[in-house]
Amino acid sequence: MLRQPLTRALALSPSRVAPLAARKFAAQADKVEVFIDDKPVYVPPGTTVLQAAAEIGVEIPRFCYHERLAVAGNCRMCLVEVEKSPKPVAACAMPVMKGMRVKTNSDLTRKAREGVMEFLLVNHPLDCPICDQGGECDLQDQSMAFGSDKSRFTDIHFSGKRAVEDKDVGPLIKTIMTRCIHCTRCIRFASEVAGVDDFGTTGRGTDMQVGTYVEKMFLSELSGNIIDLCPVGALTSKPYSFAARPWETRRIDSVDVLDPLGSNIVVATRTNEVLRILPRTNEEINEEWLSDKSRFACDGLKRQRLVTPMIADSRGNLTPVEWEEAIVAAATALRDCPPDKLLVVGGDLADAESLVALKDLANRLGSEAVCTEHYFPLDGAGTDLRSSYLLNTKIANVEDADFVLLIGTNVRFEAPLLNARIRKAFIHKETDVALIGPKVDLTYEYTHVGDSASIVKDLATGTSSHEVLKRLENSKRPVVILGADQLKTSEGPALLAYTQELALSLQDKLENKEWKVLNVLQRTASQVAAMDLGYKPGVGEMLQKGPKVVFMLGADAGVITRENLPKDCVVIYQGHHGDAGASIADIVLAGAAYTEKNGTYVNAEGRAQQTLPAVTPPGKAREDWKIIRALSEVVGARLPYDNLEEVRARLAEVCPSMVSYGDVQNNNYFAQARALAQSLQKPVSGTLDVQLKQLEDFFMTDSISRASPTMAKCVQAVIKQKQSPY
Amino acid sequence: MSARQAIQVGTKTVKPVLSVTQGEARLRVLSLYKAWYRQIPYIVKDFDIPKSEEQCRAKLKEMFLRNKDVTDIRVIDILVIKGQMELKESVNVWKQKGHIMAYFKPTEEPKPKDFLSKFFSGVE
Amino acid sequence: MLSSLRSGVKGLWRTSARSLQTTANLQHDSLFVHRDTPEDNPSIPFEFTPENQKRADALLEIYPEGHKRAAMIPLLDLAQRQNGGWLPISAMHKVAELLNLPRMRVYEVATFYTMFIRRPIGKYHIQVCTTTPCWLRGSDIVLNAIKEATGCEVGGNSPCGKFSISEVECLGACVNAPMIQVNDDYYEDLTVEDSKEIINKLKKDEKPKPGPRSGRYASEPLGGLTSLTEPPTGPGFGLQDSLK
Repeated sequence: MLRQPLTRALALSPSRVAPLAARKFAAQADKVEVFIDDKPVYVPPGTTVLQAAAEIGVEIPRFCYHERLAVAGNCRMCLVEVEKSPKPVAACAMPVMKGMRVKTNSDLTRKAREGVMEFLLVNHPLDCPICDQGGECDLQDQSMAFGSDKSRFTDIHFSGKRAVEDKDVGPLIKTIMTRCIHCTRCIRFASEVAGVDDFGTTGRGTDMQVGTYVEKMFLSELSGNIIDLCPVGALTSKPYSFAARPWETRRIDSVDVLDPLGSNIVVATRTNEVLRILPRTNEEINEEWLSDKSRFACDGLKRQRLVTPMIADSRGNLTPVEWEEAIVAAATALRDCPPDKLLVVGGDLADAESLVALKDLANRLGSEAVCTEHYFPLDGAGTDLRSSYLLNTKIANVEDADFVLLIGTNVRFEAPLLNARIRKAFIHKETDVALIGPKVDLTYEYTHVGDSASIVKDLATGTSSHEVLKRLENSKRPVVILGADQLKTSEGPALLAYTQELALSLQDKLENKEWKVLNVLQRTASQVAAMDLGYKPGVGEMLQKGPKVVFMLGADAGVITRENLPKDCVVIYQGHHGDAGASIADIVLAGAAYTEKNGTYVNAEGRAQQTLPAVTPPGKAREDWKIIRALSEVVGARLPYDNLEEVRARLAEVCPSMVSYGDVQNNNYFAQARALAQSLQKPVSGTLDVQLKQLEDFFMTDSISRASPTMAKCVQAVIKQKQSPY
Repeated sequence: MSARQAIQVGTKTVKPVLSVTQGEARLRVLSLYKAWYRQIPYIVKDFDIPKSEEQCRAKLKEMFLRNKDVTDIRVIDILVIKGQMELKESVNVWKQKGHIMAYFKPTEEPKPKDFLSKFFSGVE
Repeated sequence: MLSSLRSGVKGLWRTSARSLQTTANLQHDSLFVHRDTPEDNPSIPFEFTPENQKRADALLEIYPEGHKRAAMIPLLDLAQRQNGGWLPISAMHKVAELLNLPRMRVYEVATFYTMFIRRPIGKYHIQVCTTTPCWLRGSDIVLNAIKEATGCEVGGNSPCGKFSISEVECLGACVNAPMIQVNDDYYEDLTVEDSKEIINKLKKDEKPKPGPRSGRYASEPLGGLTSLTEPPTGPGFGLQDSLK
C-alpha cells in the first residue's frame, strides 16, 4: 500500500518534486529565477509560486493551502496572473518555471480573487455575529481584503443558500457544516498527520459535504488541531463555544506540562480565567500542533482546586486555616522529625524552582531522602550522565531518522507529538518503525518484534536472528526510544543497560558522528528537571524505612498511599489539585498550577522552558517556591533567596542549562555510560507492558486532566464509540 | 557685585510670620501647650475615647516633643498655628472620634519588609 | 424527507397571522450521510458469493501492488449487482477490507457516483431520461405512464417493491428518444403503450425485448435511408481528369 494518500503522491508538493527536478537540472544552476511583481527571486526548482512569493514577503491569500499539509488546490483563492498564461493559475499548486513573471496584484488577479470570494460566499451563511470563529476567521479577513464591496446574490429568494446538517465528531469539536467552504484541510490533517482516516468528502457538486458519512467520533489524540486549521467557523471548539471573542482575551505565552515534550502554548485568559489553550509554533518541539489533553484539559484548572491551606482536624477532616497556622503546623512537623525519617517527594507537575527550593530545605534539615515518584535505575551511570535519561536525538531530528526502534513505549499516547513526528518521517521519508512491547495502534505500520525484554538483549548482543537487527545495522540514522516506564521493574537496570549497549554500538558505527541513537522517553514534565537537580528517582527504598514526615510536592501519581506509610506519619501535601495526594494529607499547602506561576520545566530532550503566569492562583493559593521559602524560615533553616531571580541564580548554580531557556544541549559521555552499564547486563525475561494502550487511557493521566470535565467526557465518548459498529 | 549689594545679601532678613524673637515663639508654644492641656478632660469626655487623661497628656507631651529640635522661628510659628487649628477643631467638635484616635494609632499599617511577613500578609 | 416536513410546517404557518419568509432548499434526491435503517446497517453481514469472490480476485489481479485501490469502483459495482441493485453500507465495508483502505475512502467514492445507489430499491430500476431531446419527444407522458403503471413516485419504490423510478439526465440515446433504462437494458422510441407493456411484462418477470420499439434496428431513419442510398463510389471519384 502506498504510505501517502494518493492526493499527496500526485500533487506537486515541493518535497517530492524537488529531488526529481534537481536531478533533471543538475547540470544547470540549482536555482531558478522568477519574478514576483517584477521583483526577482531565486528559488529551487519545484518550489510553488506561492512559496516563492512568500520568500520575498508577498503573501498570496489562500484557504486550502497549508504548509504542513499536502497541496489540494481546490479553494482557488490563490489564483494569480502569470505572464503568457491564458488563465490565472493556482499559486499553491503551480511549480515555478524559469523566468516566470507572476503578477500578484494585477487587475486580472484581483478580479479572480473577487470572483472566487463571491462564489465562496454564495453558500456561506451570514452568521458571523453568532459564529465562534468571528475575529479569527480567514474568510472574514480575506473577504474584507479581497472580496467585492457589494453583493450580487439575489438567489436567496428562489433557491436559498445551501445548508448541510451538522456532524457529531465527539465532545471536543463542534461542527456547523453549513459554514464549511470545502478546503479539505481537516481531511488532509486527519489522514496525513493524525493518521485517522475518518474524514472525507461525500457527494458531489453542490451537495458535496465534508464529514464522516457515518456517525463517528474523531478518534484521535490530535483532533483539536483541526479547529485551528479550519479557516472558517465550521469546526470550532466545543468547550470554548460562545465563551469569548479573540480580541477580548489576553494571550500569554507559556509551556505545556501535561506531557513530557513541553509543547509551546498560548494561554488565552479573560477576567482571571483560563478560557482556552492554543499551540504556539516551535519547530523544535510541537511544530504548530498540540495534543488534545494539553489543549482541552484547561477546564480542569478551575475544578477540584486547593484554594486555601488546610489542616486535618481531630476527626481527620481537612479544615481551612490561615497560612500562618498551616505553615507553623508544617514547620513543627518538620522540626520534630528526625532527619533520616523525613521523605520528600516531587510530583509530576512540579516546576524546577519549587523542586530546588524543596531539595535545599530538605538538605538543610539534614535529609537526603529527596525523591521523585517514578523510578529510574541508579545502577551504572544512573542519573549522573544526562544522556542516559533524555531524548538525545531531539524531537525535531526524529524526522530525519531512517529506522526507529521503540522499546516498551506507546509513543502515541505518552508523547503524541513525538509520535506525529515519527509518523511524518514514516510517510514522507520512508522511515521504518519497529516496536518491542505490546501491540498498540501507533497510526502507522510497524514491525512488531515481540513483547519480551529478552529481545532487547538479543539485539544488543547481536544474537538475534530477527530482521530488525540487520535493518538497524544497515541504517544510517537509527533511533532507539526506550519508554521510562519499563525501568520501574527489577529488570529495569539490565534493560537500560542492554538498550544503551544496542544504541551506542550502533552509534559508534555511524558515519555521521553527530547523530545520537539512544533515547529514553520520560513520562512526566517534571522528571527530567528533578533528576537534573539531584532528586533520587523512585520512593520505594525510602518508604521501607518508615518515614515520620512525608512532604509531597504535587505527588499525585498514587505511589504513596496511607497503606504503605506508618500509622503516625504526618503527610504534608503541597499542590494545586485535590487529588490522590491531598486526600491522604494531614496538612495541605495550596500551590499554583502551571498557568499561574513563572516556572521552569525541562522537557524530555533536556530543553529548559518557562511558563508565565497567565492568571493569579485561586483563593489563598501561592506560588510553590514561595511556600517552601516561607516554611524554611519558620522551620529555622532559612533559604537564601527571596525573589525569582535569586531562585533562578540558585538553579543556575545547580544546573546551568536550566536557565538557558529554549536551548538544548548536546549530550556526551555516551562511551562512559556504556562502559558503566556493561556490568549490569544480566539476563532479562520479563514482558514489556505499557500503561496507556487505548485512546481512553490517554485523556486522564494527571491531577489537572483528572479534574477536567471535558477529559471525562472524552473518555466516555471514546468508550461509547468503541461500542459502535463504525 | 557692588559692596552695597553684598551687605544686603549678608544681612538679609525674612519677613516674620508672627514671632520676631525666639522668646516670643517660646511663649506661643507654651501657651498652646497649656491650652491643649486644659482641654484634655473635655476631649476625653466629649469624644468618649477609650483613653484616660493621663494617656492623653502623655500623648500631648510626646507630640510636642516630637518637634523639640525645630529652631527656625517661622517653622515654629506655623506649627503653632496648625496646633491651634487642631485645637479649635477639637473644641468645637468639628473633629470626630476617629480623628482624635488617629493621634494614638495611625490607620495605615506599615508595609511588611521581610519575606515571611510579606508572605503571610499576602503581598508575596 | 425534509421537504415533506417543510410543507407540513408551512401549512401550520399559513394559519398564523404573521407570514414568515422561507426559502426552498437546494436538495438532492439522496442523502450524503448514512443513517442506520433496518435494511441497511453495518450489522447486516455482506460477503461476496464464491463466484463473485473469484471475480473480485480477478479484478484485484489487474492492478499492480500499491495501486489496488483502483479496483474500488469495479468491486463496488460487483457488490451492488450481487445485492440486487443497491449498495448497503456493509458492502462498502467489505470492499474497504478487501482493498485494505480506510472505510471513509470507500464512502467517498460510493457517494460521488450517482450510479451507486445507497438505499434499498426494487428489482427493476427504471431510469427515465428527461433531458431535452427525450423531453421534446414526450418523455413526460412516458414518465407519467410508468408512474401510473408501477404506482411508484420518482425517487421512490413501488408498493409491490419491484420497481423504482429515477429521473436521469441524458443516457446518450437521443436519436431514439424517448427512452428508459431498466437495469442494464435500454428501451427506446417509446410510446405510452410501449411503456405500459414493458412494465406489465416486468411485473410478470418476463424480460421485454430491449432496443427501439418503433421497428427500427438501431438509429437509422424511420422512413428508410434518405442519403447514402447508392453503393459507394470507387477511388478517384470526382477528381480532375488530369489527376487520374
